[in-house]
Amino acid sequence: MMSAIAGAGDNKPQDNSESNGGIPLLEMVRITKSFPGVQALKEVSISVRAGEVRALLGENGAGKSTLMNILDGVFSEYGGEIRLDGHPVSIRSPRDAQKLGIAMIHQELNLVPELSVSDNIFLGRELRTPLGTIDLKRMQHKTAALLAELDVTISSTRPVRMARVAEQQLIEVAKALSLNARILIMDEPTSALADAEVQRLFKVIRQLSARGVAILYISHRLEELQEIAHSVTVMRDGELIGTHALADVARADLIPMMVGRPLQEVFPKGESTVRRDQELLRVEHLSLSVDKGGSNRALHDLSFTVHAGEIIGFAGLMGAGRTEVLEAIFGVHPRRLLSGHVYVKGKLLDARSPRQAIRRGLAFVTEDRKSQSLVTILSVGFNITLAALRRFTRGMLVNQQQEQVAVVDAIHNLRIKTPGSTTMVNNLSGGNQQKVVLAKCLLTNPQVILMDEPTRGIDVGAKSEIYEQMSRLVSAGMGIIMVSSELPELLGMCDRILVLSDGRLTGEFQRGEVTQEMILEAATTQEVQAHVN
Amino acid sequence: MSVDVGDPSVKRENIVPSPRERFTRVLSVLGSLQGYIGLILIVGFGILSKGDIFWNGINLTNAIGAFSSRGILAVGETLVILIAGIDLSVGSILGFCSMTAALLLTTRDMNPALIVLISMLVGAFFGFCNGAATSWLRIQSFVVTLAMLSIARGLDRELSNNVSVGTQVVLANGHLAPNSESFQLLGTPGHNLFNLQIPFIGQVGIYYPVLAFLIVCIIFQFILSRTRFGRHIYAIGGNETAARLSGVNVMLIKIAVFMLAGMLAGFAGPIDAAYSASADPLAGQSFELDAIAAAVIGGASLSGGKGTIIGTLVGALILTLLDNVLGLNAVSDNWQLVIKGLIVVVAVVLQRPGILTTTFAYVRSIIAKIRPERGGDKEV
Repeated sequence: MMSAIAGAGDNKPQDNSESNGGIPLLEMVRITKSFPGVQALKEVSISVRAGEVRALLGENGAGKSTLMNILDGVFSEYGGEIRLDGHPVSIRSPRDAQKLGIAMIHQELNLVPELSVSDNIFLGRELRTPLGTIDLKRMQHKTAALLAELDVTISSTRPVRMARVAEQQLIEVAKALSLNARILIMDEPTSALADAEVQRLFKVIRQLSARGVAILYISHRLEELQEIAHSVTVMRDGELIGTHALADVARADLIPMMVGRPLQEVFPKGESTVRRDQELLRVEHLSLSVDKGGSNRALHDLSFTVHAGEIIGFAGLMGAGRTEVLEAIFGVHPRRLLSGHVYVKGKLLDARSPRQAIRRGLAFVTEDRKSQSLVTILSVGFNITLAALRRFTRGMLVNQQQEQVAVVDAIHNLRIKTPGSTTMVNNLSGGNQQKVVLAKCLLTNPQVILMDEPTRGIDVGAKSEIYEQMSRLVSAGMGIIMVSSELPELLGMCDRILVLSDGRLTGEFQRGEVTQEMILEAATTQEVQAHVN
Repeated sequence: MSVDVGDPSVKRENIVPSPRERFTRVLSVLGSLQGYIGLILIVGFGILSKGDIFWNGINLTNAIGAFSSRGILAVGETLVILIAGIDLSVGSILGFCSMTAALLLTTRDMNPALIVLISMLVGAFFGFCNGAATSWLRIQSFVVTLAMLSIARGLDRELSNNVSVGTQVVLANGHLAPNSESFQLLGTPGHNLFNLQIPFIGQVGIYYPVLAFLIVCIIFQFILSRTRFGRHIYAIGGNETAARLSGVNVMLIKIAVFMLAGMLAGFAGPIDAAYSASADPLAGQSFELDAIAAAVIGGASLSGGKGTIIGTLVGALILTLLDNVLGLNAVSDNWQLVIKGLIVVVAVVLQRPGILTTTFAYVRSIIAKIRPERGGDKEV
């Protein structure tokens, strides 16, 4: 139903950068792409001029990265046409893209840490001497020239692992330049950078733009866009919402474009079941520092409580630290990285291990069920009772009759569609796997369930069943903390929504008094806005 | 690895078995049997080529008896492989423990029961070191146990001064010393617990090392399938993160598994010494490879979470009977090695839960999809 708007947006060529007339450098026309079960892109068309800096905006899963991966040749199967300088081109592999002068800097940088800067830049296209050996001198010389162009002062012989993330990003830029890239795609390049480093990157982007390189820039940070982009394309649910010159739109207008989707799911949450007098979980001044070599984000001084019958939602952008909140409470991170305290029913918990947290009545539905929650090569029954085996153990032995009764009950209660309890979890659908995870958690008799993206990657039917279960659980007096990237889900299910930005609480909203725009506003602010409770 | 006893949907199917369900059931029986196909082939070949010489109790018990110390190692190895590790040191630990046992017997004249106990403790200590380095220092078990392979062997040779120690202490009257005599029961052929006359096979005696191997198999199969500890082993091997987040004490269990593997090597040490009537400083060399081969032929996956002790027992039988059959057919040692290597590969391919079971599972999943559409209500 959005295609009307999308069509209107793309048919009219937007002329908003410093116009130099003629044919756009890049046109992507009616690009479609589907993954099993999901239509990731629906006839998306964009066109970009030489020297233009185009920002791509959208929520997680809007299709921005998919579109860019198609342009970079990562996905070879797609519908639609890509034109460079008006000529149709075929891009079926990153190598094709490279030859056409398209380079992409992924969020996860693609450098070999142990190799030197120049080796990385010339990886796969090493310069040779007439004897056929690698011409280190010439490679280093060229690298130094490239780096000087970017005002980067790193020795070309230094191993990349010794460079900071910001420098590594610039090394990627240098690599793109060495490929004579005319189109440079950057996927959230600033997400890991400090402010000064961001400024340096912007300076480089402006230089490139002045040289006529078109830059496609994916970012969640709205305030950056004003500074760097000429135009912005907004996507939502795999569709193009519109392209505008940045001068024409205010930030306040962009947010509704990003999230303005009609509520599709029906949320079965009824009357509030919150029992204000009964506190289940209290978190006080929780902070998490970044582990050396670890990939966790830092948290700064978080305090909140969960009451019986309450669903608390955590909103925030990717990398805001939402998952880390749950992990920190659940004892996943080493205690030395943490400060602050967690109380369950008024008693200090401060879990040192997930085991301890489970015993004290917490359960954790992880973000990635296959890699973190399930032993997929083993049976449904094995997985359901894994966390609660203690309940079925007499002395040394597992009472298999009792266990089987519990498994059959769980399969029945949660309506897990499986041929039997001995079926391998791998053979179930995503929704049913998620129900197995939920069944496993429930069998430990938790007081508070931590749910990280509980409905990610499952179909609408299974989603509403998960929502129903959640409602049933809170009406039975449990508490739920839920992290989700889907705002409608948070708005539909939560009694209270806490918003994180860069590991800090930047907003707290009660059910009914909050809109998606308010949440996004809080999620994109850098400074602390509100600190209630 | 069957974990569940009953399956509600299967029970329901029992009421009205359709031809298709009968077919899938036959397939599943065949699937569960495929692990034994290799064994059946080898036994069949043995009988066809050598008849009674192969298929008689004495030959069979001798063959299995010779392998039982390696079989016991294989049980421990299976546990380690189940947690996605590998233990290369069991052969060296066996060597060290057999030397310890022989020295305790000859220099201290100790009671064999006590010797076995001490030897198991020593083995468990080596295993603890492996486990601690693996889980606390987070070194890959391959590296840790490769180091231990060298360390234990070096200590063994130092302890023995590179001289083998005989375990038959002869008294002045020409008889064996009582402790030495009972020690020999652990491994020397001919000492049977009982003798039975069984039709078709003939005289069968359960020979102590074989008995020990079988008991170890039964105990550990039981631990794996019936205890919480066993479940946790499978969980760690299948997905360590999920196990940890489900409250499994991953470090403790890993250490315990390596300790058990060491302990079993400590148990196998005296058996090996008794079997060869001496502890050689090189005893147990490359036994770890046979142990790994037995586990792998038995269906254990080196990526963890998959395998059973019963499977390992079958794998051990395949290896030992293969040796025996080839030996009886006068195949040279060199060719035996070549054939053994090929058998490992063939057996693993044969036992991939692919050839029959996945086909079966695939067929079943299609049936599960088709059935509701036909208006049947058997599938929930």
